[in-house]
Amino acid sequence: MMSLPFLLFACGLGLAWTSRREAAMGFWVAGVLILLVLFRFHATDVLNLGL
Amino acid sequence: MTADLSRLLNALALVALDTILVLAFADQLWFRDLPCPICILQRAGFVAAGFGLALNLMFGPRPSHYGLAIIGAMVGGVMSADQVLHYIVPGTGSYGNAIFGLHFYSWSLIAFAVVVAGSGVMLMFDRQFESSSPPPLPLTVFPLTAVALLALLAVGNVASTLAICGVGLCPEVPGGYLIFHENLGLALLKSP
Repeated sequence: MMSLPFLLFACGLGLAWTSRREAAMGFWVAGVLILLVLFRFHATDVLNLGL
Repeated sequence: MTADLSRLLNALALVALDTILVLAFADQLWFRDLPCPICILQRAGFVAAGFGLALNLMFGPRPSHYGLAIIGAMVGGVMSADQVLHYIVPGTGSYGNAIFGLHFYSWSLIAFAVVVAGSGVMLMFDRQFESSSPPPLPLTVFPLTAVALLALLAVGNVASTLAICGVGLCPEVPGGYLIFHENLGLALLKSP
């Protein structure tokens, strides 16, 4: 699960290598969205800050 | 700024990001300093930011590619900032080794800020976007090495993260490489 963003970015770079720019950017978007979801799962501690 | 100069600067910036990822691997393998879950996500942030620079090298500089670099760096920067804020009060602990007086997450936050600022500066030079040669552009040795290294590091992080975390979410404090646990097969079978 945690390796999924890296896998998507690697696939995206592979697609870019084969000149498929739009598909590569699609993989990048999917990777970033999964990255944010994984961050949401892991950032569970509430920061004790006065803002 | 010409397209050629822009590509050179993008290649230099991508090599810098590659170097950060290599240093993270060196710390993990040489000093046996296993990355925490948020640290792994920050590495992914560096790959996401480098992705935009790699597209600049392969297809020529475009504002959309700088956009990817900026958003990737912002996502990674949020994660670094979260970790910095966790340990910002003296005496509340830290995670991992310090290098030149700052921990890796503090350096990450600085690096992500530099990527955002650098991309912003690059976007001010319009002439680089008036390229005459059609994409995809032929890669010379230096940009080719930078892009290939980024792809290699992304694949390396797939393997490393699988080794540390298995197929599920990572433990909050990694105790070792899960792949070397004798019950990994059972853990894989039992995972939802």
